[in-house]
Amino acid sequence: MMENAWIIPLFPLLSFLILLLFGKRLKEASAYVGILLTLASLVYSILVLIERLDAPNYVTKADWLTIGDIHLTAGFEVNQLNALMLFIVSLVSFLVHTYSKGYMHGDERFPVFYAYLGLFTFAMLGLVISPNLLQTYVFWELVGLGSFLLIGFYYYKEEAKAAAKKAFIMTRIGDVGLFIGMILLFWQTKSFEYSEIFKAVEAGSISQTMITLTAILIFVGAVGKSGQFPLHTWLPDAMEGPTPVSALIHAATMVAAGVYLVAALFPLFNASETALMTVAVVGGFTAIFAASIGLVQTDIKRVLAYSTVSQLGYMMLALGSAGYVAGVFHLMTHAFFKALLFLAAGSVIHAVHTQDIEEMGGLWKKLRLTGPLFLIGTLAISGVPLLSGFFSKDEILAAAWEGGHPILFLLALIAAFFTAFYMFRLFFMVFTGNPRGNQEHVHESPTSMTFPMIVLGVLAIIGGYVNTPWFGSFLGDWLTEGNEALAHEAEGPVWIMILATVVSLLGIYLSWLIYGKRSISRNWLSGKGDKMHTILLNKYYVDEFYELTIIKLTKGISYLAQFIDVYIVEGLVKGVTGFVQGLGMSGSKLQSGQVQTYGAVAFIGLAVLVVIFALTGGYL
Amino acid sequence: MTFSGEFLAFMILALVAVVGGVLLLNLRKVIYMVVALVFTFVSIAGIYVLLSAEFIAGVQILIYSGAITIIMLFGIMLTHHHGEDEAHGGKWRKFLLFLGVVGFAFAVYMGIYNLDIEQVPTKLFENNTMQIGKALYTKHIIPFEVTSVLLLVALVGAIVLAKKDEKGADEE
Amino acid sequence: MSSVPASAFLALALILFCIGLYGALTKRNTVIVLISIELMLNAVNINLVTFSKYGVEPSITGQIFTLFAIAVAAAEAAVGLAILFSLYRNKRTVNIDKMDSMKH
Repeated sequence: MMENAWIIPLFPLLSFLILLLFGKRLKEASAYVGILLTLASLVYSILVLIERLDAPNYVTKADWLTIGDIHLTAGFEVNQLNALMLFIVSLVSFLVHTYSKGYMHGDERFPVFYAYLGLFTFAMLGLVISPNLLQTYVFWELVGLGSFLLIGFYYYKEEAKAAAKKAFIMTRIGDVGLFIGMILLFWQTKSFEYSEIFKAVEAGSISQTMITLTAILIFVGAVGKSGQFPLHTWLPDAMEGPTPVSALIHAATMVAAGVYLVAALFPLFNASETALMTVAVVGGFTAIFAASIGLVQTDIKRVLAYSTVSQLGYMMLALGSAGYVAGVFHLMTHAFFKALLFLAAGSVIHAVHTQDIEEMGGLWKKLRLTGPLFLIGTLAISGVPLLSGFFSKDEILAAAWEGGHPILFLLALIAAFFTAFYMFRLFFMVFTGNPRGNQEHVHESPTSMTFPMIVLGVLAIIGGYVNTPWFGSFLGDWLTEGNEALAHEAEGPVWIMILATVVSLLGIYLSWLIYGKRSISRNWLSGKGDKMHTILLNKYYVDEFYELTIIKLTKGISYLAQFIDVYIVEGLVKGVTGFVQGLGMSGSKLQSGQVQTYGAVAFIGLAVLVVIFALTGGYL
Repeated sequence: MTFSGEFLAFMILALVAVVGGVLLLNLRKVIYMVVALVFTFVSIAGIYVLLSAEFIAGVQILIYSGAITIIMLFGIMLTHHHGEDEAHGGKWRKFLLFLGVVGFAFAVYMGIYNLDIEQVPTKLFENNTMQIGKALYTKHIIPFEVTSVLLLVALVGAIVLAKKDEKGADEE
Repeated sequence: MSSVPASAFLALALILFCIGLYGALTKRNTVIVLISIELMLNAVNINLVTFSKYGVEPSITGQIFTLFAIAVAAAEAAVGLAILFSLYRNKRTVNIDKMDSMKH
């Protein structure tokens, strides 16, 4: 099976091509094309994953370009991480395809949506099986393109257009870092191959500074893609896209790409203390930063978006604390419960036609299926024991503790508390209490939408058991198998687990007091820290800060450049053309067809000659 | 230069000729222009007489003052011209042309103002017409005949050109 | 012998020629342009006649040439007017600045 793993990304590509060509004719039947082909991908991915459990890694490549002694290759690789990612991506993609059939029902550009989904999935699957940086970069950009198309799907909405552009440009800023890092690595190792790079790193043929530099540059790319601070602002805005897209972006494809990249290049990061530290600090900061913004947002999708940013920060923190297993593990569980949460949120939006949680409330009884599933997701992300999030989060906390950064550990703990608090705030606001908006036509979503949620709900519960301190760290052993550098015994002390649980439950309890039982006024907190509340509501004014600094600066430079272009460059060109044109114009004016004018001109010429001749004493 | 009757006659004739020319340039009505030019043509005939060319003077009056002026007047009338010659657009062009003409006149005048050719007594005025006739039919017989052919061709050409094409039955 | 110098006749011819030239190049009415050209020819004729009397070798030939010139001028006037009529029939105008078919 593994020899043919290259076929996995081709299924969605095929779907994309078919829908591109015949989408108009297929109409809503195009959903089946997409669903079936992604199902094929999923099945194949599962088979590959199962085979990979015992078999060794499989790498194959062919020469793509030969320049002098340098061979650029293209190929694919199946290792533990790839196989796992293939499974996660194709699973979430398949479920999102299924879900979209109900969610996008009746949309005019239904086939186009499925075509874009196909392209997006193809790009992400291609990304995870790339064996070298160059190929990764190509798919990396394709992922960016896919996200651009999907976020801007409702292109007639100004916000969606702006959000799509923002996502594209912000991630592009990160991509520049990745690109430079990639080129530097190539310069140092004469190869884009992961394996070659790792070999060079291990052999110490790259200087320590260079390792740190390239690792950080590549991390900049990951920061852009994974929405880490300070390039996080596009991710919440990306909520302008259709909700299934948000699920896909936030759970499996786009943002996971950044984490995946760091994980895939982990040996490189591992070789530099500074790089790891940077990753950890950025991750930890993002985790608490985004979580604190999430506390006050009122848009259901934005709360989830900030929780994604926060959770991605967690993963980065784990990776930066040398907790490779913890990071990848959390990436997997997060994919399950975040996809679940987004799909459930989509179901809620589908039912009440609003995204403002202030207008929801009391939906528990009306959405019999969505409610409990959302609760599962919320419990999982909050880290309540026995659900998947609990194990992975515990793993991260242990890694952060082990990594020897007490402050980061503390940040992670507070972020966990925040997460539990705002997720349950969301839950209570949406599902309990009295209805606040118009809920006359509220109905449960169709099966095509509930089915993926149920699958994800089950996975969100059991997904964590592949790597627990109680039943054995199966996933961890498997991931680090054959690569002992990655192995990292993150068996933190038991008190961490208890502490994490207590913190989560505390967050839930506080949330319940305020939003569930209402024994504490909702304004209790915001009243205390009025300024803080405003700052949070405005997301720390990061967007405004960018507007004032970078955008203004760029605009200034652009105006200058425009000025130079319009008045100096174009002026020169216009001067030259104008001169020639004027010459031609006056020449053509002479050719008026009027004999009299010709005669006049000829005579004046003659007169001038004669006068000159006479004055110079030419005759007599 | 002694003041004589000949000189007086020349001055008067020259004055009339130049005034006729200037009127041609300055009058507005086309008919008046042509009539003004008749004065010029007639005074030129007088100049010919002063130059002992009586026959040419006669021809000048017959052809120019008579024939050409008349067909020009016919031309003006037949083209239904409203009779006014509006100022030509482009003052700059006129000005430049004026400068050019003045410059040209000046340059030519430089060549002629003190032209000093020794005067040789001539007998041109004696039997002028007979002299011309003899010269024409002896020395210049071939150009004379060619000229007659030219006139014939011009006649035919004028008729062909002025004839209304195809449908036009009446000729000029 | 004569009280009027040859240069006086030549100067008169020059003035008339210049008037004719200016008229030919500025007037809009084609008939006037034609007649201006006649004036120029006349000026030339004066020159010819002048030199036939006051030239280095006075002879009747100058007058003969004048006759030829007058004949040619007459023919030119006739053909010119015929062309003018033809144009007028096609363009309904005798304004010379409307006759710009040579441009195309």
